[in-house]
Amino acid sequence: MLAMDQGVVEEWLSEYKTLPDNAVSNYAASLKDKGALIPALYKVMRENYSDLLEPVCHQLFEFYRSGEPQLQRFTLQFLPELLWSLLSVSAARDPHTSGCIEALLLGIYNLEIVDKDGQSKILSFTVPSLSKPSVYHEPSAIGSIALTEGALANHGLSRVVYSGPHLQRENFTAQNRFEVLTFLLLCYNAALSYMTATSLQSLCQLSSRVCICGYPRQQLRRYKGISTRLTVTSEFLVQLITGIHYALCSGEVDLGSKALDDVLYRAQLELLPEALLVGNAIKSSLHGAALKSNNKEGARSIQVEITPTSSRISRNAVTSLSIRGHRWKRHESQEASVESDAAVGGVAIPDISVTGTSGERLPNGESMRPRLDGRAPPDCDPVGGASEVSLDLRGQEVRRQKSVRRMVENEGSGTASTGRSQY
Amino acid sequence: MTARKSGSRLETEIERCRSESQWDKIPELVRQLSAKLISNDDLGELLLGECKLQTYLKENPIKQGASPRGPRPKLVEVRKHLTAALDRGNLKADYLQEASLLMAKLCYVEGEHRDALGHYSRVILEDMQLGGAPVYRLSMIAEAYATKGLCLEKVPAASPALSNQNTGSPASNRSATDREQDIITCYEKSGDIALLYLQEAEKALSAGIQNRSPKPGPTAQDLELGYFLETGLQRAHVIHFKNGNLTRGVGRFREILRAVENRTTQSLRMTIARQLAEILLRGMCEQSYWSPLEDPPTVSPLDDPTRQGHTISKNYSLSRRARVYSGENLFCPQENTEEALLLLLISESMANRDAVLSRIPEHNNDRIISLQSASVVYDLLTIALGRRGQYEMLSECLERAMKFAFEEFHLWYQLALSLMAAGKSARAVKVLKECIRLKPDDPTIPLLAVKLCIGPLHWLDDGECFANIVIDMGEKAAEFRAKGYLAIGLVYSLKATDASLRSTQEEYQRKALGAFQRAQSLSPTDHLAAFYLALQLAVSRQIPEALGYVRQALQLQGDDVHSLHLLALLLSAQKHYHDALNIIEMALSEYPENFNLLYTKVKLESMCRGPEEALLTCKHMLQIWKSFYNLTNPSDSGRGSSLLDRAIADRRQLNAMTLPDFSDLDTGSVHATSIAASRVEQALSEVASSMQSSAPKHGPMHPWMTLAQIWLHAAEVYTGMSKPAEASACTQEASNLFPTSHNVLYMRGQIAELRGNIEEAKRWYEESLSINPTHVKTMQRLGLILHQLQRYSLSEKVLRDAVQVNSTAHDVWNSLGEVLQAQGNAAAATECFLTALELEASSPILPFTIIPRAL
Repeated sequence: MLAMDQGVVEEWLSEYKTLPDNAVSNYAASLKDKGALIPALYKVMRENYSDLLEPVCHQLFEFYRSGEPQLQRFTLQFLPELLWSLLSVSAARDPHTSGCIEALLLGIYNLEIVDKDGQSKILSFTVPSLSKPSVYHEPSAIGSIALTEGALANHGLSRVVYSGPHLQRENFTAQNRFEVLTFLLLCYNAALSYMTATSLQSLCQLSSRVCICGYPRQQLRRYKGISTRLTVTSEFLVQLITGIHYALCSGEVDLGSKALDDVLYRAQLELLPEALLVGNAIKSSLHGAALKSNNKEGARSIQVEITPTSSRISRNAVTSLSIRGHRWKRHESQEASVESDAAVGGVAIPDISVTGTSGERLPNGESMRPRLDGRAPPDCDPVGGASEVSLDLRGQEVRRQKSVRRMVENEGSGTASTGRSQY
Repeated sequence: MTARKSGSRLETEIERCRSESQWDKIPELVRQLSAKLISNDDLGELLLGECKLQTYLKENPIKQGASPRGPRPKLVEVRKHLTAALDRGNLKADYLQEASLLMAKLCYVEGEHRDALGHYSRVILEDMQLGGAPVYRLSMIAEAYATKGLCLEKVPAASPALSNQNTGSPASNRSATDREQDIITCYEKSGDIALLYLQEAEKALSAGIQNRSPKPGPTAQDLELGYFLETGLQRAHVIHFKNGNLTRGVGRFREILRAVENRTTQSLRMTIARQLAEILLRGMCEQSYWSPLEDPPTVSPLDDPTRQGHTISKNYSLSRRARVYSGENLFCPQENTEEALLLLLISESMANRDAVLSRIPEHNNDRIISLQSASVVYDLLTIALGRRGQYEMLSECLERAMKFAFEEFHLWYQLALSLMAAGKSARAVKVLKECIRLKPDDPTIPLLAVKLCIGPLHWLDDGECFANIVIDMGEKAAEFRAKGYLAIGLVYSLKATDASLRSTQEEYQRKALGAFQRAQSLSPTDHLAAFYLALQLAVSRQIPEALGYVRQALQLQGDDVHSLHLLALLLSAQKHYHDALNIIEMALSEYPENFNLLYTKVKLESMCRGPEEALLTCKHMLQIWKSFYNLTNPSDSGRGSSLLDRAIADRRQLNAMTLPDFSDLDTGSVHATSIAASRVEQALSEVASSMQSSAPKHGPMHPWMTLAQIWLHAAEVYTGMSKPAEASACTQEASNLFPTSHNVLYMRGQIAELRGNIEEAKRWYEESLSINPTHVKTMQRLGLILHQLQRYSLSEKVLRDAVQVNSTAHDVWNSLGEVLQAQGNAAAATECFLTALELEASSPILPFTIIPRAL
């Protein structure tokens, strides 16, 4: 470590201590102007046995404890680097060097798991439901798509806990390590937009290393640090993937895609469905999307183009919607109903079985009509769809609500099993 | 047909045709019009010009991105009409404005951007009335703003800006930023008015149809937006994002989405909803989020800091706006995942509706388009729900994707993974089978299936098939080959535990050992291979060899809890109880809340340090249990998906729990003592996993089972201390949770024995066996009692059955020896005693099989 870097860090250490309370927020805003400071702090963390590590960790914790959002984010940006230090040291079974990092991480964790009043924090969110009106939609226009068994069981909005409550922790053990680290990553991810490119790069590196150390792929990546395998949990990997996703879309294309590949590699080897699920989805959704690599800080790669607004699907193709029309509509009328097939799925599309192995080939849309009409018995109309085709939207809504109620009653009166068999 | 229409009637008809873009009817109507009054000639010119221009544009649509250039011969006529209309100056003010706007549009189409701007400068767009205007005029104004924006973008800023004249501000001092702002305002206004127009047009259309109901005319076709309105609706946010101004781009998206949808905007809404969801998931975080009904933050990390001056918020107002969704109790998202989810659910419902079902080749392209737009939505849904751990809901959503999924590997695989993550194991395996068919070369898929078969399902035969798929891949499976052998080894190992015939047991053990050895040699750095090899050797009572491999496993993975546990059990098999206890305590310092370790600790403590210490540990366990499960709030954690799940979950209540068996006290891993018991266990584990992610995953499956086990361990310590009253109290606690568990009944039998009630004990043991006919410990005790009651042959029968079930239970061999001796069969008795002695020398304090075996 150069003397200059050391000087920068020492100045930073002493400056904050002498700061009067009312100057904290100005100080926080001025931190990003100290260009040499952040690289110097990374050097402290990456170096083994630096004398400065302990005071630095202490000060970062003071920053976090101050409650000033900008200071907290300043600390958070080092989280990936600190996690890596902790994990690599614990893999090397050298308990003495990481004491202050452990203390810092546990300190942040213990601060974050409680709210202002010292009660355990429970992080929850509302699962939106199409059956309740929102600022973006009206249930009547959506139709009965949401009327699956599950949707009926949770009719309306439900609040779901996704993290917490968590126990206070005084030290890291093999058992609680990933629980604590997963929660810390959750905090980091909640502030992703404020993280610098360096921090995101560090996150990608952390992800790659955690996943490949000790596995044959380590040679491929030419990483020569520790070579012991680190245990991971699926939840931890999912949090890493969330951060990688953000990094990938913020210009860190190379490091990000490597990291995503490495996490998926590990998730495959360890057969972790959650991480595979989210990782695959990200890979597939970014496939084809041109990610722009950038060297220029700040330029995001989120771009949109003008897209044609007319439907790209030709009018004579048999779709879920049109098949309904064929089944229920005898005259060519202006159908304002946008109800999906879900409610009548069992009736209208028996050809597309879920296993899909013997999907019957339909010759074309026109010849569907007689066949479907011929096959479906007249009394198997569970929703009364024929009467719904109407232009009067209000009347339609009322009727639909009635049919919804009827379905609910059917479900309730023990025909749930028939409902199931449709899917 | 040619009946003259009265003036106002004719005008209404013309207005309707213009609003419904029925240009082919205009010439006839104009003929009727000019026949009426001479002063209508100018209006006629205007209408003919308009209709010819629109017809031209319909036949030669402008492509996005392509800029029209040069005069077209067909348009000469249009210009002639419009010039005629404008020149005479007889038109009413409204029509004059319209003629100018049409002229400007014509200029744009011909590539004369400056001329177009010149025409716009003559009309004050801002002054055109939105309220009370006919529908077609709304469209005209919206198009005019869009066209003006397009022209402003084309004309270099340095030139004398024509646009300034109408706003009246001095031409000087206007920076490029202001100019850009003007352009954006043009587009935003255009978009806002376009939304209003589309709503009004649909209203007029449906009203019109109702008036002339029985006659379905050509009006049935959808309104089409056309190049100018499309540009007006979308260009503003495209510019925002190009400028790196996410805040305003997101704001614009939300404005468009909040307008009540109509048929024409559906497709646009679907695209925009998906794009906004993408931005919310990829470019935002909880801290930088603001809700749709809040004002955006003035400084946001989302905006490009290098570009200043773009944070000016919207600076115009319109006299009339499109209707937005309103009403009481509107759901408004409060965080980015919520909003993304809402948008994606809306997109999903639309994508689902457009699913192309026919599989004929002509519709291939349509099918691919509908599949693509749906799979993007499903991928984003996966990202959003996965982030929040809502796999239950995700699996339901992905199930809806199945109508797209014929031969689509990605959708099948994602469904399988979501089912697995949601704990719906049996269904997951079925879907995984289809995935294997679609992608036979991927070793991960069969391995995932084995994982489920070995774990929650206990479908060992299926597991064997899946594992063999991986092994048959040979070298192709690469790094997964070792995993394949590990998997099949585990299947054999579990089959050995389940087998009731000694010969089958030994056969499976031999096969398991072989498979683990293969796995270990293929992947010498995998601690699991070494560990399971050690475990299998331990089960076969090859203690020194097992010790060697468990040490190897620990070198590879120093803090692996199962390796440490096995090491302790191996040490106890060698009767090094104090060393074993030290290892357990060391392991507990890393895993203080691991109940399996604590059970072993209780056993070792009562052996080495006396029952008081063991009781303290039991108390400690109860404390841990309390802090653990009191904290998590089961009512919040996770949503049972199906009604069936719900029903089971409701029955899960404490007192109503009538499960005949819970995870066997002796076996940590799932042990199918009988098919019936395993089925119940299967159902239970699905329930337990549907309890969801926020509950800690380690430890036995169910918190209540854990609690019952703790009480039973305490009861056992008390019986060891000959304290029947306390033991009985502890058993009662366990019995409250699982009244029909064979372990509870067994413990009651022991207490009865302690009290000297042989008959009562016998009754308890018989009940226990009626629930679990292969519970070796009960069989052994029952055998002993029958022996005491001098019913030797029955006793011998029971004990021989016990030995069949578990040939390594040394105390059973010993009891059997005693019975045979009492019957005077000295030779057979001696053999039994010798076997017992030999087995006892390698017997661990708790069976090795309490260590779970899972992939």
